[in-house]
Amino acid sequence: MIVDVNAYLGHFAFRRLRHNTAAPLLALMDSKRIDKAVVSSVSAITYRNAQAGNEEVAEEVRGHRDRLIPFAVINPFYAGWQDDLKICHEEFGMAGLRLYPKWHNYQLSSACCRELVNAATERGIVISIPIRVEDNRQRSWLLNVPDVPLEEIVELVKAHPKARFILLNGIGYTRCPLGRKDNGLPPNYVIELSRLSAVLANELGQLITNLGAERVMFGTGMPFKYPDPALVKLEVLDASGADKEKIRSQNAMTWLRL
Amino acid sequence: MAIPQITSGPSAPQPRVSRRTLLKGSAATAVAIGMAALPSARTAVEQSIPGTPSGPLRKGRVIDCHAHLTHRSRTTWEADDRKLIEAADKLGIDQLCCSTLTPRRPATADGFRECNRWTADGMRRFPGRVLGYCYVNPGYGREALEEIHRCVGERGFIGIKLYNEYTCMEPVVFPIVELATELGVPILQHAAHSHYFVEDQPRMSDGGHLAELARRYPEAMLICAHISGGGDWEWTIKALRHAPNVLLDTSGSVTDEGTVELAAAVVGVDRLLFGCDSSMTAGVGKIRGANLSAQDKEKILSGNMMRLLRRRKS
Repeated sequence: MIVDVNAYLGHFAFRRLRHNTAAPLLALMDSKRIDKAVVSSVSAITYRNAQAGNEEVAEEVRGHRDRLIPFAVINPFYAGWQDDLKICHEEFGMAGLRLYPKWHNYQLSSACCRELVNAATERGIVISIPIRVEDNRQRSWLLNVPDVPLEEIVELVKAHPKARFILLNGIGYTRCPLGRKDNGLPPNYVIELSRLSAVLANELGQLITNLGAERVMFGTGMPFKYPDPALVKLEVLDASGADKEKIRSQNAMTWLRL
Repeated sequence: MAIPQITSGPSAPQPRVSRRTLLKGSAATAVAIGMAALPSARTAVEQSIPGTPSGPLRKGRVIDCHAHLTHRSRTTWEADDRKLIEAADKLGIDQLCCSTLTPRRPATADGFRECNRWTADGMRRFPGRVLGYCYVNPGYGREALEEIHRCVGERGFIGIKLYNEYTCMEPVVFPIVELATELGVPILQHAAHSHYFVEDQPRMSDGGHLAELARRYPEAMLICAHISGGGDWEWTIKALRHAPNVLLDTSGSVTDEGTVELAAAVVGVDRLLFGCDSSMTAGVGKIRGANLSAQDKEKILSGNMMRLLRRRKS
């Protein structure tokens, strides 16, 4: 079983995506033997009213809930986010969030964001944070959205020890406390592997050594990215079969209560 | 000088990512058809190509057209180079076309000569696995040309690596291109196109520069480096549509879905070269994930690079 915690549906403002509706995404998953994928709205990254994107995803995954697990994109500085959170959780059955602090222009340390994290935690909702959406060097002339600094994530996980975070599309964790052994941080976060090296510097292997295989999850970034590089990482990773199985699916199943 | 034969070196361990899955698609495909039942990917595809000058270029190999050995100012250089080969072993990459770059640019003449000596040493340490690019700073004129003659003519390097000391359309670069054409070797040109000024690389070349250079020198063999690590890859691919003597290297850390297919559709699969530029799983995964035929992938993985290397005149 393979569970991908880093997948998307919808349109991106700056590049045409393929496999970005349910049927083609499922066909792609079938071809790669990926059983389940956590999906959120790409469109909500640039929609002013992110809830419209959540509604699109809720509609798109209808009939595919056994394989597509919808997460909500919530902007805690936008009017009515509390209502949106309630609808996404209670009506749409979304078991997690994706936050875009840089794209939506707020601080993770802001009171509004803290309120959102607390509200999600009370509901038992997982919070995922894509460190980046795409490589900054290919950005449009219209905008310059930086990656989320890992130092800001450190403060976030410290401030919310009962919350549960999945960190997506990141790299360089071993150069900051997040990826170090005995880092004094609560074990309330896991790291998705799509951008981690599995050979040469082998950050993936280092994270397993430092944090344990329980703290790493499989993700691809599709349909932004080819799923194959992430699959290749698992294939070449020097780890036990048991650890690979945790990364491939077990950790996600536990965290998402699947 | 002959390009070293892969069979003269120690044989690589069986790769974990077989060439067969690279050509056919996903790992799942391989699992589905039963990996254990497959013959060795390495032995199954190896065939000498008749007519190659020294017999080193083999049909069905995987050649990384863009790789680097580690500069020896880094204390871990030897282990790092070994890791590169081990990573290639795991991923089923047979040969790596490597340059060694100075840690800071612009490179001095002493700096690039030292790098090239180390590349030559790498070719000896990893016989048949490492093929050498001669790195020069074109600003050194005669010294750069002499270094190319030395590396290509005497040391068996397979091409020239140009970085960002000058954009490739500056006249100081032209003698390098003329010599490369005379020797029949390719130039791998560092390139990127971003929609902002890249302050730390003010003389970065892009696909537009390379297309212009290609029009000026239609016999030259030019390689536009890392379309997946050089900014807006859609821009780069479109800029190179009408430059038939520029090949595009697929290396880079960006794994955007559809990159390889767009490049194949716009410039043609005959102009694509597999590369990693140290982003090894990204490089392999992109080709494996691309929705192209096995024949097309064969060209990208090695056939097109072998075609370039056969044009060597000495």
